[in-house]
Amino acid sequence: MNLISFNNVCKTYDPGLFKKKIQAVNDLSFDLQQGEVFGLIGPNGAGKSTAIRMLLGLIRPDSGTIFYKGRPLREGSIQQDIGYLPENPYLYDHLNLLELLTFCGRSSGLDADAISERGTALMTRLNLLEAQKRPLRTFSKGMLQRAGICFALLHDPSIVILDEPMSGLDPIGRKMVFDLVMELKGEGKTIFFCSHILNDVERLCDRIGLMNRGGLVRLFARADFPQNDGNTVILHVAPLSAPQRHDLQALGGRLRQEEGEMLLAVAEDCYHPVNRYLEQQGVAVLGGRSEWVSLEELFMGIIKEQEA
Amino acid sequence: MGRLLLLITLLLSLGAHIFVSRQVWDTRAEARRSGEAAYVLPSRFSRILALGYQGLFSDYLFLKTLTFYGERQMLQKPLSEDDWHYLVTSLDVVTDLDPYFFDPYIFAEGTMAWEGKIAEANKLLEKGWRYRDFDWRIPYFIGFNYFYFLQDYEKGGNYIMEAAKLSGSPRFLPTLAARLTYYGGKSETAILFLKGMLADTEDPSFRATLEIRLLALERAAELEKMIERFKDDHGRSPNQVEELVARGYIDVLPIDPYGGQWILLKSGRVFSTSKFTTARKKE
Amino acid sequence: MRGILSLAVITFKEGIRNRSLFGIALLALFLFGLNITVAGFFMRDIGKVTVDMNLSALSVAGLLLVFFVGVNLMAKDIDRKTIHLVLSKPISRIEYIWGKYLGILFFVFVSLAILLALSSATVFFLHGSYPDYFGQFTWSVFFVAAFFVFVKIALLVSIVVFFSSITTNSFITLIFSVCAFIVGSTIEEVLFYLRSSFAAKELAISDSLRHLLEIVSYLVPNLSVFDFKTEAAHGLAIGLDRLGFSLAYAAVYITVLLLLASLIFRRREFN
Repeated sequence: MNLISFNNVCKTYDPGLFKKKIQAVNDLSFDLQQGEVFGLIGPNGAGKSTAIRMLLGLIRPDSGTIFYKGRPLREGSIQQDIGYLPENPYLYDHLNLLELLTFCGRSSGLDADAISERGTALMTRLNLLEAQKRPLRTFSKGMLQRAGICFALLHDPSIVILDEPMSGLDPIGRKMVFDLVMELKGEGKTIFFCSHILNDVERLCDRIGLMNRGGLVRLFARADFPQNDGNTVILHVAPLSAPQRHDLQALGGRLRQEEGEMLLAVAEDCYHPVNRYLEQQGVAVLGGRSEWVSLEELFMGIIKEQEA
Repeated sequence: MGRLLLLITLLLSLGAHIFVSRQVWDTRAEARRSGEAAYVLPSRFSRILALGYQGLFSDYLFLKTLTFYGERQMLQKPLSEDDWHYLVTSLDVVTDLDPYFFDPYIFAEGTMAWEGKIAEANKLLEKGWRYRDFDWRIPYFIGFNYFYFLQDYEKGGNYIMEAAKLSGSPRFLPTLAARLTYYGGKSETAILFLKGMLADTEDPSFRATLEIRLLALERAAELEKMIERFKDDHGRSPNQVEELVARGYIDVLPIDPYGGQWILLKSGRVFSTSKFTTARKKE
Repeated sequence: MRGILSLAVITFKEGIRNRSLFGIALLALFLFGLNITVAGFFMRDIGKVTVDMNLSALSVAGLLLVFFVGVNLMAKDIDRKTIHLVLSKPISRIEYIWGKYLGILFFVFVSLAILLALSSATVFFLHGSYPDYFGQFTWSVFFVAAFFVFVKIALLVSIVVFFSSITTNSFITLIFSVCAFIVGSTIEEVLFYLRSSFAAKELAISDSLRHLLEIVSYLVPNLSVFDFKTEAAHGLAIGLDRLGFSLAYAAVYITVLLLLASLIFRRREFN
């Protein structure tokens, strides 16, 4: 059963008198499975945040239905199971992190011991323990982002919704969040997030949805973006002849032409035969690459196609 | 909480609101009726507290004073000495806050002067004249007070002459002084004066006050005219107003709108036991 | 219920730590100090002037608290989208309204209680210094009047919450609330003036106008109902029925406004 599914959801904003209505989400349909990591990407204004807000019940779809555990979404039905991190969270200026987390825990029905235990664990994890008594207004952007993540995860939600979780973070912070998401995934949580940083999406997600102009353009499964998962070596090689290509494919390599360059992906266990073949044929290896298809290129292509 | 429950609670509380609201307004009306006249903050404080909005503050205070007077009139409740004190100080503060504000002066002339607070009225008007030295009406009011209420024809004449010098004053003013001296405290004078004031007044409750007074004076003037006729016919004044009816000059005595009995003063002027004020009406 | 309480607690904390609080407290202290210095200037009725100034200072401080801090506590939540975070927790929209109201109310109550303690000290000091000039002054009436200053502020808080629930901008909320306050403070004078002036003219007041006045008197909160400054200043007894009705009036008005706000808020969308 799908955990969450969007069925032909449409949403139009009315920005007020004398202004043109904005169609934010147009006939959006997709499903979220229990325990998967789903990434929604797309250019600004594609309707990603709108989709998330509809899921949270902050706004209502004009038409279409959102199902949660097989039932239409109603006010309050999802809140207990959800942890949400908005884009650029604004937290209360004069509170400290501890008080914010206490609020979060209390409203979710946690008792004081559970709050302090979970809170300390999360703050240690995100390197905020030192800052827990400082007013939030003294936090830097990255710290606020991490505080927001603590706030979202405190009550151990089974579904985590992250809107641009990496924005404003330095490389260390990014690593922290990355590891945390991987850990959550390991715990079997369902994770739904939006990001612009495609590299993160690629590495984290089981499936990726590409949104543009309010609709879902394409869904990719993990198999569709065979990037460097540690077992594959990607090489940039000199131009190949047709028989060479055929031979390489027979040896277990995969080939792709990109802007006149030839890319060759080889799984680690068949790397040696392929390497020997290349040496025999005198094909020059021009360099290595970390990703097979850059999502960026892929998406630019799809979006260009759609706009045309 | 479901929507239905919310709506039901809302309807119930709306009902309660209407009930309580009605009660509260009634209690307020009662409190205002029985309550003592409010205290007026001396102008040296209110000038500061007005925070630069002296004009607005004086408008509000004046509105309050008008309402106070109007309510007392509506309930036909005579003004107590405290009430008068409030009225006088309040108008004083209003005109301290904005000495160019004309309404309080005309209001003072229409109420205070006619109900025995002549000295207070003149004091206020003198202040007005210091500021509104371009306005012929203020010296005209003072002059009238001297003529009509205080029978001080010399002072009255001086004020009216001053008024006549100011631009916009009516043509009859220069001759009025002479006529006033001749007629003295006759009702005819007051009628002229009241008509002038009515022409300057918009406030309905104050107009009503003036109109009742005008009516009383017109009736008195009518009687005075008949007494002149009586004098011409008989060579003497009647002993009482009732003699006019007995001798057939009028069919029936007009009613004093203030509820008093007509009396004939030695000067030949007709007056009433009500003294033409509401203050003594209940007596 | 736990949602309401936890939200009220953070709202209170957020309010009580606001820096503007120092400013407001300072202003109130200045007014109390002014009172002590000025008291000697009056010949008689020092008690009256003292009570007047203290209650007015409390009332002004309360207004500032509501308009400068209270408005931000709710309207800024919506302005800056913090409400997205709050509503992602198991807190319903209705709980949000009531929680915010209680939080702001508690914040105002605590601030005013501190100021009242200071104010009582001023009155106590002056009472001791000029015992002959305090006439009929009684502490009980003084505290009743001070309590009704708080009741008035509680009603204003519900107005702020109501306007926050329909507008998207904290500045508009502020403007609307200030207007409601001004109208509420003057409505009684204006309505009684209109009634008396029509009665004076002996005009059969037109039906439509009378209905309009009637409707206005139900819609607009009559804030003069909570004004017991004169009674406190002169130590006059206040009838229990008047106190009861005034309190009931505030309670019912607040309930109606918050229920309306809840209804509107349920339908509202947060972009």
